Amino acid sequence: MRKVAIFLIVVTLAACTTIDCPVQNLVYTNYALKKAGGSADTLNTDTLWILTRRADGTDTLLLNGLCGTTATKFSLPISYTQPEDVFITLLADTAGCSYIDTIRIKKENYPHFESVDCQASYFHKVTAASTTHNAFDSITIHHSSVNYDVSNDHFYLYVKKNRH
Amino acid sequence: MTISTSMSRRIAISILMLAMALTSQAQMKMFRMEKDSIPFFRGFSVSFDLVGPAMRLLSDHGEYEGALRVNLHDQWFPIFEAGIGKANHENDEVTGITYKTTAPYFRIGMDWNVLKNKHQSNRLYAGFRYAFTSYKVDIIREALPDPVWQSESGFGVEGMGCSMHWAEIVFGIDAKVFGPLHLGWNVRYKRRIAHNDGDLDTTWYVPGFGTNDSDNLAANFNVIIDI
Repeated sequence: MRKVAIFLIVVTLAACTTIDCPVQNLVYTNYALKKAGGSADTLNTDTLWILTRRADGTDTLLLNGLCGTTATKFSLPISYTQPEDVFITLLADTAGCSYIDTIRIKKENYPHFESVDCQASYFHKVTAASTTHNAFDSITIHHSSVNYDVSNDHFYLYVKKNRH
Repeated sequence: MTISTSMSRRIAISILMLAMALTSQAQMKMFRMEKDSIPFFRGFSVSFDLVGPAMRLLSDHGEYEGALRVNLHDQWFPIFEAGIGKANHENDEVTGITYKTTAPYFRIGMDWNVLKNKHQSNRLYAGFRYAFTSYKVDIIREALPDPVWQSESGFGVEGMGCSMHWAEIVFGIDAKVFGPLHLGWNVRYKRRIAHNDGDLDTTWYVPGFGTNDSDNLAANFNVIIDI
């Protein structure tokens, strides 16, 4: 009886399986606001909205009214398979002026598989980034690999100071 | 003082040489053939595993595996193992992923009978294997919806070529039932040596190795027939 119990315990333990899916399984991009000298910038009294256009042609708001002296960075999603993501930005100041800019992110998309137990996703390599220079002076790629590691800033965004 | 130092050195060297001789003697014991009237070549045996087919029956992956083993003086057992590993995981109910592969795998190695009385009908083994498989895999995720842009972004990789080399340490027993029939089981520690996981950089089930990882633990239950 004791041997049977030991055998059953061993078989039960051997039958256990583990699922090793990553805990952080979101893929998104981080944008850091920078001054020309490379130090962190902030929106101060300006307010920023960002939206994009879905596959069906409707708009969706991705960033809703970011503002204040602590607004030094933000995150945006990245599409699974589009070759280029287009973000429409609206920057408003306290004088009542609004500046519309368009950020374009070109990228390569790679399907990512961990296991049949883990959700499939896409990783990306950013190849180019641009703005239309209305609200932002420029955008630079700081970290081109976009994956589950979201500890890095992927883009540096330079806010235009002398807007007309 | 000089004589004392010289003697101490000689004694130390003697002890060291004795220790080395004893160690090498112990190491050589495993490889040394026992001197008796039993012939060196003792025949072949074939075996097949029952755990792999049971796993295939009860889950979505498993193996069909057989082996040919040479008996050298009941001490050494060079072995060749071959099998077919199969996985058919269709449209996972949570992730929606389909994973399919069917491929052969091969192992070559040697078992040692570690029992003191090697010529009895029961055996206790320790051994090693080198194993290899080259396989093609289908990984499909249809209709993966993009949560923001709401476009369908499924992917399908079919016939992705992969391969793996690995080593195994094996411990097992083998008991005679009657006539040429033996039953035995073994446990295996598998360690990945090299791998090519194709364009997706990883796979799930590897034929003969199990789920893809740096190492794995497995067990076989063998029906063995002496021929």
